[in-house]
Amino acid sequence: MSRRVVVAMSGGVDSSVAAAILREQGYDVIGMAMRLAPDASPHAGGGGSCCSAEDFEDARRVAELMGFPFYVIDLRQEFKRTVIDYFVKEYSSGRTPNPCAMCNREVKFDRLWERALALEADYVATGHYARVARDAKGGWRLWRARDAWKDQSYFLFNLSSDDLARTLFPLGDMTKQEVRQRARQLGLRNADKTESQEICFVQASDYADFVAARVESGAVGAGAIVDTAGRELGRHEGIHRFTVGQRRGLGIASAEALFVREIRAANREVVAVPKRQLLAKGLFASQVRMVNPLLAGQADLSVQVKIRSRHPGIAATLSTFAAGCGGLRAEVKFLAEFPAVTPGQACVFYDGNEVLGGGFIDAPMAVS
Amino acid sequence: MTQIYFDYNAGAPLRPAVRDILRGFASAGALNPSSIHREGQRARRALERAREQVAALIGAKPNQIVFTSGGTESNNLAIFGTTKGRASRRAIVSSTIEHSSITAPLGELERSGYQIVRIEPNAEGVIDPLALLGSIDRKVALISIGLANSEIGTVQALESIAERSRAAGASFHIDAAQAAGRIAVNVATLGCDLMTVSAHKLGAPAGAGALFVRAPGLIAAQMQGGPQEKGLRGGTPNLLGAICFGAAADEARANLEVEALRLRGLVNRLYDSLAARIPGLRRNGSVDRSLPNTLNLTFPDTLGEMMLIGLDLEGVCVSMGSACAAGAVEPSHVLIGIGRTEAQARSSIRISLGWTTTGEEIERGAEIIARVWRRVVRVSGLQASRAEAAAEIGARP
Repeated sequence: MSRRVVVAMSGGVDSSVAAAILREQGYDVIGMAMRLAPDASPHAGGGGSCCSAEDFEDARRVAELMGFPFYVIDLRQEFKRTVIDYFVKEYSSGRTPNPCAMCNREVKFDRLWERALALEADYVATGHYARVARDAKGGWRLWRARDAWKDQSYFLFNLSSDDLARTLFPLGDMTKQEVRQRARQLGLRNADKTESQEICFVQASDYADFVAARVESGAVGAGAIVDTAGRELGRHEGIHRFTVGQRRGLGIASAEALFVREIRAANREVVAVPKRQLLAKGLFASQVRMVNPLLAGQADLSVQVKIRSRHPGIAATLSTFAAGCGGLRAEVKFLAEFPAVTPGQACVFYDGNEVLGGGFIDAPMAVS
Repeated sequence: MTQIYFDYNAGAPLRPAVRDILRGFASAGALNPSSIHREGQRARRALERAREQVAALIGAKPNQIVFTSGGTESNNLAIFGTTKGRASRRAIVSSTIEHSSITAPLGELERSGYQIVRIEPNAEGVIDPLALLGSIDRKVALISIGLANSEIGTVQALESIAERSRAAGASFHIDAAQAAGRIAVNVATLGCDLMTVSAHKLGAPAGAGALFVRAPGLIAAQMQGGPQEKGLRGGTPNLLGAICFGAAADEARANLEVEALRLRGLVNRLYDSLAARIPGLRRNGSVDRSLPNTLNLTFPDTLGEMMLIGLDLEGVCVSMGSACAAGAVEPSHVLIGIGRTEAQARSSIRISLGWTTTGEEIERGAEIIARVWRRVVRVSGLQASRAEAAAEIGARP
C-alpha cells in the first residue's frame, strides 16, 4: 500500500502543486484546508489571503482534477488561542510578533499532524519552500530551499528532527517560476494567482486597529516618544504602532532622521534615536529549539543568524543554555555590529544552507 | 471499497420509480403546464397527478398543495407569507432547535421588530406542548415548529396546538421536511394551517418541495410573477421535479409502516453494536419519540470532524452539524439547544438510514465506525490524549 500523506492546502498555487506532485509520485494524498481566521476578520471572503470559501474552492478543484479526497477542517479556536492571542499580546508588550513562525509551530505541524495520525497518515506535507534531508548520522535536518528568494526555512525553525522525519516539502528543489510552470502544465486554474504576502488574518494597514480592539483599553494607549536620556521628543498614539528599527510615524522634526530603538511597554514610552544608535553587538533569545538535539547547550558555535525574514544573515557565534522545563535560551554575538534587533521576531541560526535552530528575540545585546 | 450511505437526512438516493422517470425524461416533450396547446395540457395533467401524490402523503387535498423549490422556500413562504398579510400581530412562537431555513427568517423578523418566542426543549429534544400552548396569545401571528428534528430525530407531539392556535387567531406551521415519508403525517390529525415537505429527503432530486396551505388567503405570495400555484408562487413550475416528488411520495407512502419497523430495527442494532464496542457512547434525542431512521451519537474523547473524514476515507457517509460556506463543520445548534456542551457537540455525528440500507451494512458499518473511533480517540482527543499522541510519535520507526 502506498504511503499516506496529508497535504495542507490553502488554494494557492504552491500547496496545490505540492499536492499534485505527491499524487503523481504515487502517494495516497489527502488534501486538507484549515479554517484559521475568525469570521469577523476583514479578510473573510476577501481575495489575496487564505481561508476564504473561494480559495478552498480552488483547492477542491485541484483535488478533483488529481483524484484525491479533500476536506476542510476547523482550527479557528486553536488558531485564536495560539496565534491571534499571541499576536495581540506581543504587540501590547512592545514586541513585534512573528505569527507565521508561531502558526507553523502550533497549528500547521502540530494540530495538523495529530489529525494526520488519526487518519493513519505517514506524513504531512506543505507548499513551503524548504528542504528536509538526512545528515551523515541519519538525523533529519532542515535546509534552505533551492530558490534563495522564496526560501521559507526562517519560518520553520521550530520543527524538531522528529517533526522533520514525517514532513515533506515537495517544492524545496523548485523555483517559484518552475512551480507556476508546473501548475500550468497540470491545468490548475490558480497557476497565476497572486501571492499572499501579508499576515493571513489581518491586513498590514489594519493591524494596529486589530490589536487595539483586542486588548483592555489603556494597554496600548498613547504615550511619550523620548530620547535615550528620557527627554520627551513628542507623543505617539500607541506602542503597538511601532517596531524596533521603524522610522515612519514618529512625527518628530529633527536634524537627523530618528528611528525606534526600544519600546517600553510598562510606561508606554517609545525611545527614538539616530540611526547609529540602533546598533547592537548581538542578541538574547528564548523559546530556542535546536533541530539536532546534540547541539543544545553548546557554546560558541559559528553560525549565520537571520533576525527577520528578508535578511541575508549575519556572521555570529551562538551559545545555548538550558532554561528550565526543557527549554533553551541563547546568546548570539555578532562578528560586526548590526542595527535594529527587534524583540519578538524570530532569530534563526544557519550553518550554510542548514537550519541549526532558532528562537524568539528578547533583547539586543547593547554596544558598550 | 463498497460505500455505505448513512446520511439520508441530508438527502436520499433516487428511488427506482424516480430513476425510471428521469430515464424517460430525455424523450419528453415541452414541459410548461401553463401552455394552452395539447403538449401543455399533458404537462398540466402530469403536474396535477404529482400534486395528488404529494397531497396523499400528508392527508391533504390536492388543491391545498403549493409546489416550491424545496423545504427552504416552503419555510420562507410560510413565515414571510404569513407575516406579510398580518402586520398587526408582531410575535412568533418557535423553538431553539429548528432548521436554519426557519431560524434565519425568524432572525430577520426579529431584527425588524418582531418578538420571537423560542421554546427550549428538554434534554431529549422534546418540546413541552404546554410550554407552546402557554406562549400562544392574540399577539401571535405564527407558530412554527419542526415535526421531526433533522439532527437528533426527535418527533414532537403537536396534536394539541391547533385548537389553541385557531382560538387565538394565529397560523400554525409545521416543518415536516424530515418527517414526511418516514412516519405517518396527517394534516387533519395535526390540524395545522401550513406544512412544509421536501422531495429530496424522500429519494427524488433536490429542487422540489411543497407547502400545504389549508385555505387560500392564509398567506401572501413571496415570488411574484404569474398566476401559477393559485397565485401563491409565481413562475413556471418545476414539472420534472414535481413528477419525481410525486413518485417518491407514492413509494414512501406505500411502504411506510413496514419500512419504519425495518429501519427502527436496524437503528437499534447499530446502536447496540456500537455501544458494545465503545464505552461511554451516548445517544442523543428521545428513544421513544424518534424518527425510525435517525441515530445521533456523542463519542467519548474524540473529534467528530476527524471521525467524519476517517469514515469517508473508509467509504462510510455520515454527517454532523452543518457545513459552513468553506466546507468546514460547525457544531450543531440543536445539540447545544438540548444542553450539550460545545465539546460534546463537536464529538457527535449523525447517522441516518433509508430505503437502501441493509443489515449487512449495519454490521460492517458498526465495525468500521468503532475502528475509526479507536483510531481518532487515540490521537485527537484534544485534551487527554495529547500526551499519548506525543508518545506514539516518539515510538515511530
